[in-house]
Amino acid sequence: MSDEIILEACSLIKEFPALRAVDNVSFSVHKGETVFIVGPSGSGKSTFLRCLNMLEKPTGGEVLFHGKPINADSRGINSYRSKVGMVFQHFNLFPHLTIRQNITLAPVKTGLLTEVQAEKKADILLQRIGLLDKADAYPMQLSGGQKQRVAIIRACAMSPEILLFDEPTSALDPEMVGEVQSLMKDLAAEGMTMIVVTHEITFAAEVADRMVFMDHGKILEVGTPTQLMNSDNPRIKEFFTNVL
Amino acid sequence: MMFKRLFFILSLMFLMPVWAGKVIKVVTSANFPPYEFHQNGQIVGVDIDIIREVLRRNGMEMVVEDMKFDSIIVAIQTGKGDIAASGLTVTEDRKREVDFSVTYVQAKQVIIVREDSDIAAPQDLQGRKIGVQSGTTGDTFVTENIGNPQRFDDASTAVAALKSGKLDAVVLDYEPARVHVARNAGLKLLDEPLTSEEYAFAVAKGNRELLEMINKTLQEMIADGTIENIRAKYEKVTDIEVAETDPDGSFKDDLYTVFVKNARWRYLCNGLKVTLLVAFFSVILGVSIGFFVAIIRSTADTTGKLKIANFLCKVYLMIIRGTPVVLQLLIIYFVVFGSMDVDKVLVAIIAFGINSGAYVAEIIRSGIMSIDRGQMEAGRSLGLSYSKTMILVILPQALKNVLPALGNEFIVLLKETSVCGFIALEDLTKGGDVIRSQTYNAFLPLIAVALVYLVLVMTFSFALEKLEKRLKKNE
Repeated sequence: MSDEIILEACSLIKEFPALRAVDNVSFSVHKGETVFIVGPSGSGKSTFLRCLNMLEKPTGGEVLFHGKPINADSRGINSYRSKVGMVFQHFNLFPHLTIRQNITLAPVKTGLLTEVQAEKKADILLQRIGLLDKADAYPMQLSGGQKQRVAIIRACAMSPEILLFDEPTSALDPEMVGEVQSLMKDLAAEGMTMIVVTHEITFAAEVADRMVFMDHGKILEVGTPTQLMNSDNPRIKEFFTNVL
Repeated sequence: MMFKRLFFILSLMFLMPVWAGKVIKVVTSANFPPYEFHQNGQIVGVDIDIIREVLRRNGMEMVVEDMKFDSIIVAIQTGKGDIAASGLTVTEDRKREVDFSVTYVQAKQVIIVREDSDIAAPQDLQGRKIGVQSGTTGDTFVTENIGNPQRFDDASTAVAALKSGKLDAVVLDYEPARVHVARNAGLKLLDEPLTSEEYAFAVAKGNRELLEMINKTLQEMIADGTIENIRAKYEKVTDIEVAETDPDGSFKDDLYTVFVKNARWRYLCNGLKVTLLVAFFSVILGVSIGFFVAIIRSTADTTGKLKIANFLCKVYLMIIRGTPVVLQLLIIYFVVFGSMDVDKVLVAIIAFGINSGAYVAEIIRSGIMSIDRGQMEAGRSLGLSYSKTMILVILPQALKNVLPALGNEFIVLLKETSVCGFIALEDLTKGGDVIRSQTYNAFLPLIAVALVYLVLVMTFSFALEKLEKRLKKNE
């Protein structure tokens, strides 16, 4: 971890007609850091994460990438997103494309890599997660854990500077959670900057450099996993007692 | 680039009438023997020969265009035709719409009944089921003096209805009535005519130059006996034709008469060509419009942008889906391209393409809406633009989902082109109509045409099924 700040949220607000889902949140992520965001359901974790790459357009505040503000409506949004990968709860693989095509589509169509380069990269990444033999299969033919691992390397194929994970293991059968978590652990160990929204507290405690606790759209506390789990805040205490 | 080409084509369209200056366009409804009818692939008859001779004596040439009788006055008014030569009786109502030449032929409206009918004189018609050809003077007379008749597009269908007992009598002009009775067993003409009247040519109101030329030459031709010669010639021709067609012939003879004789199968072949041409290109136009509109609509729905374009699309959908395709076809032909000399196949493609586009748009939109929004988010999160994600991720999946509905729309479109006859385009259905009007056989051409459509649709469905199976490989 270095001191260089990659991504920063300044007084970020996201209001829906009847709800302020993200309420004036300021937070920054350093290069190589692994940050886990935890908290009860409906606390605004996912909305906050989605605001970071503008899948939800913030209604107030700013997101800074290397110190420069990001505008959701400008042309630059596409190149910003190509540097900020996202992994979804429901994988969102493209069902009409093969596994290899899922991985090569974005690098080729955004002009990042040539078709040959992209295919080579896809095969290396697939080899790494042990799914090279599925390269020509379609997503329907894969298990949930395999799908999510493909979704992760699909994001990696763009060589992002940071990866956002939105509850990556919530839709998986329990026996498939491990394979996805171990891939994430490897990525963290290699120095990938990651922000992970999750309910898996044990996993978070094991991997996180820093943990963020959110409730009612606000950050209640930030610290190392040990600090947070020994917090004096009664709301946080109650949460950990209930989930652990 | 595209706009330049479009502009070029448009300016060609405007220039065309100027080029076509020297050739006079004669409009007629060619199912009215012996005045005008199809023979050996050409439109001939008393009216046609007279007007050709009139023009020839003035050093002019002509092209003949066949259309529905009740479209003829409109065609003259909108400049689709220069002269109407279609057994037009001079009436006060019509005089308000067009200018008439001097009359050149005496005609009378007569009554056809079945041989066993109890109708013996015009006064017996009261309260009976009477068939007429829509828009004719017989139609007007019966409507005003007897009661509401059943109006048919052509005389042969009316006669077929009389024969099969659906009507008690048919009112027609004497000459065509004579031919119909001769060719259909079990029918007879009443001796006493319903009315007497005179035929004249019609031109657009105020076209003095053309009218004076016609009148002068017609008077010469009446004086030198040319008109009488032409009438006499067709009296003979019709008699020979009648002798050749045996109303009590076997099924095999019928098949021969309807399809083989005078190479009549060509009407079906040429009609099929037109039908396929119109259907194919209107599908392409319709799909292009449909994609365009669907993408605007769903983009507006999901992002709140493109408000004005979305409103225009909604108006388009409302108008096209809210009116019958026949009316759209007629409006595009007579109003939009009113004074332009435009190929009718092109008019049909435009009309059916615009029509189909509205339905395709909603089908594709439903396909786009059926795709999980996570797909768009995944594409965007990888750095793909909205349009790239739409084209590479959303549309391929959407299309696969709506393929059966799209196939259905194409089948409907193929069959809807059968209304091409309304603008006198000889498609498959109209081809069958022409054969019916020539052979007086109401049933064989209908069944043949139906079979051709059926085979077309079955072939298409089969191909579609194959395509669906191929696209299912990733499931």
